[in-house]
Amino acid sequence: MNETLTIALESMVIGALIGFGASAGVARMFHAPKVQGMGAFRTLGELNACENDPVAHFSFGLGFFFNAWASAVGTGALTSDVDHRIVPHWAAALSMTKNRNLDETLHNPRRMAAYGACVGLVLVTVLNTTAASIPHSLQKVAADVLGPASEWLINPVMPIVFWMAAVDAGRRSGGWATVLGGLAHVVMGNAVPGIVLGIVVGKGIDDLGWTRVTKSLAGAVVALFVVSAFLRGVDIQLLQQMKADVPHWLSRLHDATGTTPTK
Amino acid sequence: MTTNDATTTAGAAAPAGRTRGKVPGEGSFWLSEWAFPLFVAALAAGIFAGTHLYYVYRTGTFSDVAVTAMLKGGMDSGSYGAAAAFGAGFLFARIIEGPMVGILDIGGSLQTGVGIGIPAMLLAAGITAPLEHFWLALPTGALLGALIGALILAIRRATVNSAGGTSTFGADVMMGAGNSAGRYLGPLVIIAAATASLPVGLGSTLGAALFYWWKKPLTGGAILGAMLFGLFFPIAGT
Repeated sequence: MNETLTIALESMVIGALIGFGASAGVARMFHAPKVQGMGAFRTLGELNACENDPVAHFSFGLGFFFNAWASAVGTGALTSDVDHRIVPHWAAALSMTKNRNLDETLHNPRRMAAYGACVGLVLVTVLNTTAASIPHSLQKVAADVLGPASEWLINPVMPIVFWMAAVDAGRRSGGWATVLGGLAHVVMGNAVPGIVLGIVVGKGIDDLGWTRVTKSLAGAVVALFVVSAFLRGVDIQLLQQMKADVPHWLSRLHDATGTTPTK
Repeated sequence: MTTNDATTTAGAAAPAGRTRGKVPGEGSFWLSEWAFPLFVAALAAGIFAGTHLYYVYRTGTFSDVAVTAMLKGGMDSGSYGAAAAFGAGFLFARIIEGPMVGILDIGGSLQTGVGIGIPAMLLAAGITAPLEHFWLALPTGALLGALIGALILAIRRATVNSAGGTSTFGADVMMGAGNSAGRYLGPLVIIAAATASLPVGLGSTLGAALFYWWKKPLTGGAILGAMLFGLFFPIAGT
């Protein structure tokens, strides 16, 4: 079977599924916290900012469409805006063309899910087929330009941005994020997950104090770090770099589980 | 698909004392509590299958360039630690936060967690089948989504619907940081383009400036400008 055709057919299924789920979730957001919705707070704000005008919804989605298209052609990543912004806004625009009653359009999961599935089907297919059929020389340009840029973003730009946000959010989240962020870079190779967890724990303690919820949260974080350290063989590396002897039972355990560090 | 189930489960959308009359869908399947895992399953199935597309054909993830690059780094080098830890950390935080605020953030939980983190874990463990076969990717994603949805409802029953303090666990802080991290990509693309070759750098600058002038995010312009100039002035082969 032709590759482009395969991509197109699979994209149709994928697009219909994400359009259905994302749009229903977005419509349910307007009923939160009574009903559990899904989407994002920024999506909620942006949908409200369009003030019930289908043209505003459409053009808002269009701006992000070009961004997603460039990203898809360049890197194969459709960007998170597809689920977050383009599909909800275009589904809203379609559902509002004839009816301006918010309760029956944007806030109605059934109607949004139906329109969202149609939008997703077309959108994801267009993005994926155009991205797959661009010439090889252009793919090389994209890889040479976006490769380094995204590497810098992952490390060090993103850790620094999250770190500063944690420090600005208060002494407790700053402290937790600093410790867990540093440990995360040692254990996982990137500081961001540690900083995120530091913010979660720190802010949780700020809001709730040391309750059962925050205690189990902190326990889960510690367990996560211990397990990831073991799985990546960080304990052995640490002992080796400290010029200490690795106990025989420990190296045997790592050999048995296949978690010996590769370096 | 017009299931009208009036007997919603306990704690589901109970008709509140609204003054604006009956809301369409109120008390129906579409706003019921147990429909939530279904919607999460549909979205997660699509996202996981999108990652399968990327794994096989190098296009189709529903994540941003930076996050996708983590997975690609793993696919190139075989070390999936960063992608797995990043995705799992985000998924964990969002599952805790989702029921607290009544909105599950799909970016962190599904796009990053199910789309990048869990595939990275599977690949690190040497399980490639769900990512190689489309018809296996769909049920895998759906199952993960249904589990996440059910877990969120369980946490919701245990915390929000019972009495107790509320906390968003710093979700606003993370969101702000996530949004501002995305803003850094535009300038980084221009710097990388200018490092790759001079004409491509000029094109990227021009594109970004035009997009900024048109009040659009300049990242897209920077990428398109670089690609356009790269078409006419190919980067010397390595």
